[in-house]
Parts: sequence; structure tokens; C-alpha cells
Amino acid sequence: MGAGRASNAAAHWRRPPQDGGAAQSGPGTPAMLGLVAARQAGLDDPARLRRAERTRRVLSLELNKDRDVERIHGSGINTLDIEPIEGRYMLSGGSDGVIVLYDLENLSKKPSYTCKALFSVGRSHPDVHKFSVETVQWYPHDTGMFTSSSFDKTLKIWDTNTLQPADIFHFEGTVYSHHMSPVATKHCLIAVGTKSPKVQLCDLKSGSSSHILQGHRQEVLAVSWSPRHEYILATGSADGRVKLWDVRRASGCLSTLDQHNGEKSKSSSEAANTAHNGRVNGICYTNDGLHLLTIGTDDRMRLWNSSTGENTLVNYGKVCNESRKGLKFAISCGCNPEFAFVPYGSTIAVYTVFTGELITMLRGHYSTVNCCVFQPHFQELYSGSKDCNILAWIPAPREPVPDDISEKSLPQQHLNPAYEDAWSSSDDEG
Amino acid sequence: MDQRLTELVEELTTSGEPRLEPGRMKELKKICKSSEEHISLAYHLLVTRLQEEHAEMRFSAFQVVQELFARSHHFRTLLIANFQEFLELTVGIDHEQPLPPPKEVAQKLRKAAIKAVQDWHEKYGEAYKQLSLGYHFLKQNKKVDFQDVHARTVAERRREEEKQKRLENIYKEKVKRTEKEMEEMSQEIADTLTEMENCFQLLMPDPFNFGLNDIDLELSKQTSAKEAGPASSLSSQGEVNPSSLGCMDDEQPCCSKDIPPVSQCVTAHGNKQVDEKPEQKEVDGGTCSDVQYSDIKVQENEDNTAIINSVMDAHKLLRNKFWPSVQSWIQLLTRAGVNDDRLRCAIELKNKLETAMKKYKEMNISFKARKRKVDEDEDEDEFVEVPEKEGYEPHIPDHLRKEYGLEPRSPPKAPVAKASTGAAPLSSRTQLKGNEDELDPTCAAATLKLIRDKLPKLPSPRARSSLRKLEERAKAPLMPFGLDLHYWGEDQPSAGKILKFTSEHRFWAPSEVEEEVENKEITEMLKTRYITFAGKFEPVKHKCRAPMPGGTLCERQDRIKCPFHGKIIPRDDSGIPVNAEDRAREEKMKFEKQAAQPEWRDPEFMREVEAATGLDLGSSKSNGKGQKKKGKKQKYPNLTDLKQQANTSRSRLEKKVFNKGAMKRVMKAMNRVDQRKHEKFANQFNYALN
Repeated sequence: MGAGRASNAAAHWRRPPQDGGAAQSGPGTPAMLGLVAARQAGLDDPARLRRAERTRRVLSLELNKDRDVERIHGSGINTLDIEPIEGRYMLSGGSDGVIVLYDLENLSKKPSYTCKALFSVGRSHPDVHKFSVETVQWYPHDTGMFTSSSFDKTLKIWDTNTLQPADIFHFEGTVYSHHMSPVATKHCLIAVGTKSPKVQLCDLKSGSSSHILQGHRQEVLAVSWSPRHEYILATGSADGRVKLWDVRRASGCLSTLDQHNGEKSKSSSEAANTAHNGRVNGICYTNDGLHLLTIGTDDRMRLWNSSTGENTLVNYGKVCNESRKGLKFAISCGCNPEFAFVPYGSTIAVYTVFTGELITMLRGHYSTVNCCVFQPHFQELYSGSKDCNILAWIPAPREPVPDDISEKSLPQQHLNPAYEDAWSSSDDEG
Repeated sequence: MDQRLTELVEELTTSGEPRLEPGRMKELKKICKSSEEHISLAYHLLVTRLQEEHAEMRFSAFQVVQELFARSHHFRTLLIANFQEFLELTVGIDHEQPLPPPKEVAQKLRKAAIKAVQDWHEKYGEAYKQLSLGYHFLKQNKKVDFQDVHARTVAERRREEEKQKRLENIYKEKVKRTEKEMEEMSQEIADTLTEMENCFQLLMPDPFNFGLNDIDLELSKQTSAKEAGPASSLSSQGEVNPSSLGCMDDEQPCCSKDIPPVSQCVTAHGNKQVDEKPEQKEVDGGTCSDVQYSDIKVQENEDNTAIINSVMDAHKLLRNKFWPSVQSWIQLLTRAGVNDDRLRCAIELKNKLETAMKKYKEMNISFKARKRKVDEDEDEDEFVEVPEKEGYEPHIPDHLRKEYGLEPRSPPKAPVAKASTGAAPLSSRTQLKGNEDELDPTCAAATLKLIRDKLPKLPSPRARSSLRKLEERAKAPLMPFGLDLHYWGEDQPSAGKILKFTSEHRFWAPSEVEEEVENKEITEMLKTRYITFAGKFEPVKHKCRAPMPGGTLCERQDRIKCPFHGKIIPRDDSGIPVNAEDRAREEKMKFEKQAAQPEWRDPEFMREVEAATGLDLGSSKSNGKGQKKKGKKQKYPNLTDLKQQANTSRSRLEKKVFNKGAMKRVMKAMNRVDQRKHEKFANQFNYALN
């Protein structure tokens, strides 16, 4: 990535935080220095230092005045996606059907940067979605293609370079969510959750809906492929159930996640085999694919072991969730511990995934947040909200370490005059 | 210092004043300046104040916030970190969380907040990202127009738009209806106008005389009519050709020999006209004040009655039906903003109507009084004139009785006899009155007299007793006839007896069965009669008239007792009881009341003193009622009392009607009714199901 980022990374050498949970340690802690020394001596795994620095950066995420995202959308943002190869281009889908592509790369070599919109599928575009775009996703292996699904009951496959839809799939009901497997090599299936309880699988190779997965009783609000096994799919529905499927098996689902882990005494007959007591509207795998995080309108978030289907019973507390549609949340990558970024009303809550601890609330939006997406390479978070804003949450720059005498002689010198206090000098003025 | 800060914030925010008090503010600033902890504390205190459901409190808190925001970076950081909430509380961006009452202050708060956000954005927007986000959010999402003085939110604007749209729709509908109405009615109007015009022509056979006086008027009318359009039937018929008029005008002197001028011809019935004049004025509504036309008069006579009738009818139709509806059409069309043929058409119609009505007025038709004329017509030929009689003729001369179809009166001495009998016991005046009464055929006395006349002559005492009896009888109430009356004073032979046939067979019957059964109830029923003497309702005519503290007298009209002033007693004009004992009693009560409250503790004076000194001297206690009303002391006396404002008749009723207990009671009653239905119709499937 750009030179700016490299120099930024270099600046981080000075103040190394501790590995793991103690990452909030103060500036210039010996822990960081120790890590660096160990790395230099080759005592440590190189991943360790990386992890420590990533964690520090995620923990210092804040709204930065130097980073802006161009305002193109005239209505709420429903979905965001950053392409996984370079992590440079971001797609956003608005509730008026508009899709915008942003370039996140700062090539200007200045700290202040506004992410420009490279193009947009605006209202005047002939192939624009008629209604709200619910999900956009890049083709996982190449930026030449992306997919978008909308309430106008279609799923469109776009050619990025010509901005023409290469294919359009039509469905019976509104499309809430779709997903393409990020690791699939043997198939090209897009799982689509629509208003109908059947999960549709669209094959990009043949251009047709090849499969139907039956088992849910109400609309399917969230679908997600496992990042570990290419045939494993998780779906969440309004009936409160989360099902795991092996798409090679036609007969039924692999398992249905049960919030009570099969303990009959705790569950009433109705709540048997349900993951949530409300609609399940968000599903996200951890990056290693070993765990699955789901949230529902019962204001709960649950972490599941994706291989056994067991509820890990991590308590996240109340996760406010009033969305009627799918909710897109993100999990960090390569940190220790991992963090989950979950829309929480007009804020974004940051939890540790495995302990359920609420780390912080990111405040900046003025209306309901619909989606957030994590940029794994630079530990940035982008969030889209109903207030038409896409906000970039950037790791806070390190403060200059006061290790120099000359720096000490200039106390309290702010870069911006707006930060200065303006008390009148005379006592009687107050 | 923290204590003092808390106090200061409370005092500042509960002052209820539109401006902050500078002294306290200065002190607050001084404290805040000392350290960041104090700023944080002040921030939290102010946010709590902002959350208060009282616009005045919020407004004051907002003003303090504004002061501190301009001064401290730390305060700015704190506030901006929670800027969403701040906007919700001051601008009211959340529609589910509107600004609290009082309304005017809330409006002021919103305006001030929006202005402040704008100012802050200009000054600090670059440095504080969330501030600029908030500004843009207000601008682009909530569509707050920062230039708009009224600072209306998009919701308000939309509401207004909707209202406008609804109005427009209504107007559209109305215009459509009007158009239809116009289409239907214009034909009718045209017909009526034509009819009227024809009548005018007939009434004024010579148009020159008509046109002579107001030729200019006619001309102008005509031109205007021509401008209005060729379709104006009125003007085409009513107009006088100006050229022909002109030449005729010259000939007028010779013509006048043959045709008498209107004034003359009209005054053929000269003597009558004098009588009719005031009447005619009345008919015209006093509009013939214009002297110019006063010599044109159309006199009604038997030749033109029909025409005048139809003119009058047509005029009435114009004035009462067409004119108002045309007027309303124009009003509606202008209000709806229609500016095309429809409006033009309506105005044209109106002009025509006006012309016709004016013309009608100018005709100065003098009417005979319709009703009377009919009488006269009928009387004139068939009946001989008879001298006017006042009321009923008491005495008919005997020689005329046959003519009236009456029997000749056999003893023509009755009046004399009566006079002799009546004179002794009754005073002459009552006697006279009785006489007069007897003369009136609608009076009971007259009937009596008739009876008396018909009855054979009786000895005088009996006559008197019978007279009294008759009088009593006349007074007695009229009752429906019943069996009890039929057997009055006798035993009813078969009262309450019921024949019983136990056998239904024609002739096979048990011999020993008692065939008659006496039923006591029926016997009673047949022998008794209920008569109720309820009396008549008499409206209360007197008033309480007790003196009120306002100087007026009590206006209540209770029958016996006024709920405020006790028993109603006669009082004079100033409200003082007429009777001495009443007066004494009232004095005593007044004295007792004063004794309970020493004179020097004039409540009003006390209140003033209390307000000035700030001490509670117990003026509120002195008056029992006042104390009850005040209840507990208000927490912040300077703020507008919201409860007082919310205390409307509606809210009080709501409290009663939606009272939980009441609701429960109603619910229970309704459930019970339902339940009963279920029990009753449990065997019917549609009730059994629910």
C-alpha cells in the first residue's frame, strides 16, 4: 500500500503496547520494547509482534478528522464491502438503490484524505436497482466483478469495468442477503436469502438457480459461507433458527443451532432448536471459521462453535437490535483477542469475541447504523448508517513521545487553534 | 466548590428567565476555569438539566452550555462526544422525543440551538469531526434550513405541505362540483333572465320613456354587456338601440301627445298611489331614494297583475337563489385560484343578474298589498257591505233569529231574570264581568248561559246551587270513561269473576267443578282508579341576589336554597336582606369570619409583604381554600408551571374517563354482559366459539 501508510507504521515503533489484553498499556512501555527485542533476536514468532500492534490499533479506533468518505448517497447506507485482495476498494449500497465504489487508498501523501467515489450506479443508470440495495459483495477472487441484491427481488452480477450487469437473477420475494464463499474453488455458488423460507443457491457458472435448501419456516435474513469449508453454509431466519448446511447434501441441513444446547428443561417446546428468541438477522463467521457469531432481535448476540454447533454461552449483554432487515457486522482479523464491531442503535459497540466484554462504543452517527465492515490490512473500520454517512474509524495516530527536551519546552501547544481554551484573562470577566 | 457549582447550575437553570443572570454566570465561569474536573462536573450537571422535561429549564441550560462551549476545549470535547443526545434535547431531531412544553420557549430553544450549531460549525467544525457531522446531518437529513428564520424542521414543513395538498384537493373537488352546478343552473338563470326581461318589456311598452332618464346608464350597460360576450341574453333583449333611441328621442315631444308619460299613466289611480307609497318603499327596501328614477313607476293593476307577479317571482328567484349561488361560485373559484373560462362565465352571470335586479329596482313597481287585495276582490261583487262588527254579537234580534237558523227564543226574559238573581249576592262589578264573559262564546260562562237559557226556569236558590255545581263541573278534570264510572256507587255484579272451563270437551264436563272463580286483583282493578295530582311546573322567577365579592349580585335561580349563599331570602337592590332577622344573621356570620382572621392580616397585603421579604408569614394558611389549592410548595416557583398549563378540561376529563379503576369497572361490566350472552346462548355454535 501507499508510502503514507508505511511511514505511519514506522512511527508506531516507538511505543509498543503489550501483547494481548494488556494492550492499553501506556506509551513507551517496556513490554513493546521487549517484544521488538525478542523479534530482533528471533526468539519470538513474527506473528506475535504483528498481533500486538494490530490489537493496539483496533483498540484506538476513533473518528478522525483527517479521514472522510465522500458523501454520494442521498439516503441510508445498507451495506458495505471491501474487496479482500488489496483491501483498497469499497462498495456501498444505499436504500435508494444506488451503489457507489470508493477508493480507500491515500495516495496524496498527506494525512488528510477524503475517500473518493470512483463511480456510482446512480438513479439515472439504466440498470440501477429499483429499490433498496440490501447486500453488495465483491467477487472474492478478483475486483472485476461484484454482486448486489435488492428489495426489487433481483440479484445482479456486475462487471466492474463496464458497470453493466453481466447477469440478473430474479426471485419471488425481496432479497435480504446473499453471500459468495470466500474460499470456494470447486463451486461458484451464491447463497441468497429471500422472503421465502427456502434458501436459493445461484450458480454463476450456469447462470441459474441450481439449488433450494428447505428447512426454514420464515424469511431468511442472513446467509454466510464458512471461510474454512467451502461447502458449509450458515443461514439465519426470522423463525429464530440458525441452520448449518452442507450444500452437497440435498436431504436437509446439517444441524440447527440450539441456544440451550439440547437441554430440554430450559427450553419450552416452541423454543426448541432456536438460536434466538427473535428474528436472526446477522451472521458472521470468525476469520478462522471455527466460530460463528449471530445476533437476533431478542437483543442478544451468541457465539457458536461452528463444528459442533454448540452454544459457547458467551454473554455479551444486551445488544440493541431493532432492525427489521439483515444487519451486517464485522469481526476483526489477526488481533488477540478478536473484536466484534456490532451496530448498536446509532453507535457501534466493540466487543471482545470470546469473552463478551464491551470494550467501547463508537459514537459518530446520528441515526441507526446498518452495517460496518473491517479493513483487515490497516485495521480500519467503515460504517454505514441511515443518516447517509459512511464514517471511517481510523486508529488514532500516536502522540509524539515527549522524549526530547525541546518538545517539553513547548507544553500544551495545539496544532489547531480551535482546541485552545478561550477563558477571558481578567478575573472579574470570568 | 463542587457544592457551589451544583447550586449555581440549579439556580441558573430554574430561574425561568429568558436571559442568564450575569453575576451567577460569572461565578460559574470562574469555578469552571479553575480545573477540568469542574468543567466535567458542570457538563454532567448541565446535561441532566437538558434532559429535564421543561423547555425553560432546557433553554437556560442550553445558554450556559453555549457560554462554556465557547470557552473550554475540554467542555467542547465532552459535549461533542455526546452530540447526538445534545441535538435531540435541544433541536428535537427525534420525532418520538419532541421538545417539552411550554411551546414558545421550546420554539425559541430550537431556534437558538440551530443557530448555535451553525456558529460552532463555522468556528470549530474543522477541528471537531462529530460537530461537522452533526451539522451536515441537520442540514441534509433533517433538512434544517439554516437560513430559515423559523427554523422549521422537515417534519413541520411536510405537515404544512400535506395540509396545502389536502386543501387543494378539496378545492378541486369543490370546483368540479361547482362547474357541474354552473352548467345545470346557467340555463335556468338564462331562462329566468329572459322571462324577466320580457316582463319588463311588457310593463314598459315604450322603451323610450324608460331609456329617457338613464340613457347613459343604458348605454354603458350595453357596451359592457357587449364586451362581456355575445351570449348575454339580457343585454340583447334589454338594450335599446342607441341610434333608434336617439332619433326617437327627437320625436318624443309629439309622441308624448299620444302616450301619456309613465308618471301620468301610472298615476291613473291617483288617490291610491298616495296610500301605497310607503308600502312600495318598504317593498323596495328603501332603495328608490335615487331621485332620478323616482318618476318611473309601475302601478299594479288588474291588467298587469300576472306580469308583475311573474316579475316578482323571477326577482325573488334571482335574489334568493341564483344571486347567492353565483356569488359563492365566484368566491370559491377565486379562492381555488381558478382563472379561466369558468370564472369569467361566473362573473358574467353575476353581472347579468345584477343588471336585471337593478332594472327591477328602477322599475319602481308599486304593489298592492297582495292579501288585502284578494279580500277586496272577493267581497266586492257578492256581498253587501255590512257595518264593521266587533267580535261576537251577543243579542240577535228576534226577528232575525230565523234568518240565522235559530229557534225563536221562547221566554225572552232571561237577561232580566239573571240580572235580578245575580245582583244580590255578587258585587256589581263581578256581575258585570260575568256578563261580559257570557258574551264571549269561547268562555265557559257562555256555555253556562246557554244551558241556563235552555233550562226551564228554576227557583233562584236552586239556580244558584246548580250554578255552583256547574262551575265546579267546569273546573273538574276530564277523565276517561271506565267500568268503575259505569257502576259508580253500585255493586259490580260480576266484578273479578272468571268463568272457568276445565274441560275442553264440548259436552263431557265434570259436574262438581266450581265454574266461577273470583280474582281479587281484577276486582280491585275494576273498582279503583288512580288519579295523580302532580301540579304544574312553575319556572323560578326570583334570583338569589346575595352580594358577591365582585360587587355584583348572585344570579343563581334556585328554588329554595342557593348552593353558595344558603337559603334564598328577599333582598333589596343592593343585596341587603329585607327582613331584619336575616340581616342580623348575615352580619353575625360576617363578624365571625373576620374574627377568625385578624383584620390587619389582609391576605393581599400579606402576600405582598411575603413576596417582598421572602418570608412565609402564613398568608396562604389564613384562607382554608387557598391552602388546599396550593398543596405542596412548588419546587421552582420561577418556572412556568406545566401542570397548570396541562390542566385543561380535556385532561381532567381524560383523567376521569381513562382512570384505571373506571376502565376496569367498565371492562368488567362489559365482560359480564358478554358472559351472560355466552351462558344464554351456549348451545349456539357462534356464541360457543368465542
